[in-house]
Amino acid sequence: MIEVDGTLKSRLAFWLLATVSVLGVLLLVEAYFSSQRAAERAYDSQLEAAALTIAEAIRWEGGQPVVEIPSAALQILATRHQERVFYAVLDAKGQTVSGNLDIGIPPEWRRRVSSQPTWLNDTYHGTQWRLYGRELDSAGWETQDPVQIWVGHTMSGRDALTEMLFEQAVTRFVIMVLLAGILMLLAMRVALAPIRRLRQQLRRRDADDMRPLDARVPEEMREMAETLDSLFMRQRDGREALLRFTADASHQLKTPLAGLQTTSELALQSDSPDAWRQALTEVHGSAGRTSRLASQLLSLARLRHAVEASATARIDAMALLHETTFDWAQRDVSQAHDIGLASLPASPQYIQGEAWALRELLGNLIDNALRYTPPGSVITLGAVCHAQTLELYIEDDGPGVPPETLAHLHRPFERGGRQDTEGSGLGLAIVDSIVRRHEARMQVESAQKNGLKIRLFFPYLTQHEEK
Amino acid sequence: MPIRRVALVWLLGLLAPSFAWADNPLVVEAALDREVAAPLLDAFEAAHPHIQLTFRDRSTLEVDARVANEDNPPDVVISSAMPWQMARVNEGYAQRLDSPAAQAWPEWAKWRDEVFGFTFEPIVMAYRLDLSRHMLPPKTHADLHTLLTQHRETLRGKVTTYSPLRSGVGYSLFQQDARYTTRFWDLVTAMGATDTHLEANTRAMLEGLSEGRYWLGYNLLGSYAMVWAQSHPEVFVQVPQDYSLVMMRMAFIHRDAPHPAAARAFLDFLLGREGQRVIAGETPLFSVRPDVVGPYTAQRLRDQVGERLYPIPLNASLLAFVDPSRRTAFMDRWQREFHRLAHPEPAQGAAAIESRIDKRSQR
Repeated sequence: MIEVDGTLKSRLAFWLLATVSVLGVLLLVEAYFSSQRAAERAYDSQLEAAALTIAEAIRWEGGQPVVEIPSAALQILATRHQERVFYAVLDAKGQTVSGNLDIGIPPEWRRRVSSQPTWLNDTYHGTQWRLYGRELDSAGWETQDPVQIWVGHTMSGRDALTEMLFEQAVTRFVIMVLLAGILMLLAMRVALAPIRRLRQQLRRRDADDMRPLDARVPEEMREMAETLDSLFMRQRDGREALLRFTADASHQLKTPLAGLQTTSELALQSDSPDAWRQALTEVHGSAGRTSRLASQLLSLARLRHAVEASATARIDAMALLHETTFDWAQRDVSQAHDIGLASLPASPQYIQGEAWALRELLGNLIDNALRYTPPGSVITLGAVCHAQTLELYIEDDGPGVPPETLAHLHRPFERGGRQDTEGSGLGLAIVDSIVRRHEARMQVESAQKNGLKIRLFFPYLTQHEEK
Repeated sequence: MPIRRVALVWLLGLLAPSFAWADNPLVVEAALDREVAAPLLDAFEAAHPHIQLTFRDRSTLEVDARVANEDNPPDVVISSAMPWQMARVNEGYAQRLDSPAAQAWPEWAKWRDEVFGFTFEPIVMAYRLDLSRHMLPPKTHADLHTLLTQHRETLRGKVTTYSPLRSGVGYSLFQQDARYTTRFWDLVTAMGATDTHLEANTRAMLEGLSEGRYWLGYNLLGSYAMVWAQSHPEVFVQVPQDYSLVMMRMAFIHRDAPHPAAARAFLDFLLGREGQRVIAGETPLFSVRPDVVGPYTAQRLRDQVGERLYPIPLNASLLAFVDPSRRTAFMDRWQREFHRLAHPEPAQGAAAIESRIDKRSQR
């Protein structure tokens, strides 16, 4: 089920937008303050110039400072923005020598200015003013008192300059974002090109083309391409297994059928009823074996291809093991062998599964052990509780199988290199299929002495599933 | 006028819903002759019949004092004392006007979009016919100085100019003169030497000229002098050939104007095409707008006298003129220079005139 969850473009756009927004806010705040600083510097120097111009006009007459305010100083103060202007010249006692507005200069400001020139912001009649004060050491013949010069103006020019600088910064930023967006779109087209190429290649592929991909992909897509490749490989393997199974099955069926044909032809050529009886007996036995083979093939095919699970139930594995083992132990075929149970866990152990399939599984395992071990062999079944899994095992002391074939034993028609038995080679394949259906794991290994041990690990029924 | 008022009231009585608009007063405090401004005021009343205009004609000093009156502020303030107007605007007594007319107003004739110079009045010399019988009338400031020096005895007591002490306009003009050249002080000395009479306003100077008391006047408002010369043939007006100052009357809306809407309407009218057309056509105040046609426009004046017109700059430098210490220093120097070569005993007449307080002083 393919669910379309937005587009890559919108995802990228969202992240771009989010990043740009956060960064943008920071940048704009910074831009605003730096604009303000720049405007402040520009206009503060005008205040300084005006104060200097006024300082030039101060002279001493009869022990008193006298100032003839220069028009130029006022024009410098007013600036291009026609600010309202303030100036005051104070003597050493803080008395106004000359001045235009009644902006009071508090003593602490005067003290501060006496040490160094100072810029201040002040509110006068509801308007923001920027003030600058500096002290002038000027000497007359009678007195050598310092004189303070204060100048100031309103701040519309600063505000306008700040606004202008800020607007420029914002404009630059917006253009940058737009360019980045366009570049991002282009980059996305370029970056997504390999995906597009791969898609086209997959679309052009034939249905039964299982060859590995032949595509040039970037590092980020390597994993996906490899996954696709391995998917193709598994499909190929599955197909090959199916073909092999079909071929093997045909071959397996062909041999007894050919035997039947030969036996019946020989019987038809003979006139002896004894020969007929002999042939019929052979035909009967062979047909029985063939029918068993066919039924096993059928059950294997059913197990492998029945995708939907049939009704599963909560099953006590211990009871089942018990029951099945005793059932088999009483059969005629097992009279030559010693079938027994190892000590089992006392309490019932529950797993989720299909009872018939599990019975089939155990049956196949026991049947297998009976067929591939010489008479008199000991066959032991048992169970072990692990932390995560419940282990069922079957062990024999037969001849065992060569280690190199252990891994293939579950394949159909694999007889562990033995041709001397009547087995079809399908038993373990069926077991394997059932194990897979129960999400369990099968492990085939050599037993401690000799012989074979097959261990099955089943997951416990979890609390959730118990309900 | 009364009949018109009655008719207006009767008409508004019929139009009851609009009656509320009729009671829409507007108070203008102005240093501007009512007779000179009458056509302008009539035109305004005709254009805005719902505004009840109260035009108070006062001296510049009184107008300036009214601005700071907390209890009863005027709506619009008009004055020719440019530095004082500027100082009031700097103190924050004006409010912005953001109308199209204000936006279109030339930059050199406004400040902060709060105060507007709406007239363009050249400063001139005026002389009586008698003068030309004795000597060549002056054409420049240098001519005037030469004349005063060479014909000191002939001109004794026959020259008049503004009193810088009693007239804000006169003080501003002398300050501006002194800014252009230090030779101005030679002129002051020469005027002092001829016992020049110091008047408080242009009208007094013009009357003296017509009566024959004076032969020569310096720094008269050209707007009044030109009109006077038309009806008094014995008086001649000379726009100085070297440079001629130009004074602008400045108007602003008071920050605490009780009727701001009406005040804006009034200023818009003053600065607008209609008001400036009336100024150019029916008053001698000279229109500033270049797109207005009439006998009294700045453009026409420039065409007549060339590029020698020097408008007093309408900017922060004007504030220096009202600086108390600068004013004291200027007046000290004026007194020194004026009395440097003066007659041992100061003229009695001049002292009498100086002490007289005229309602229309400083205009």
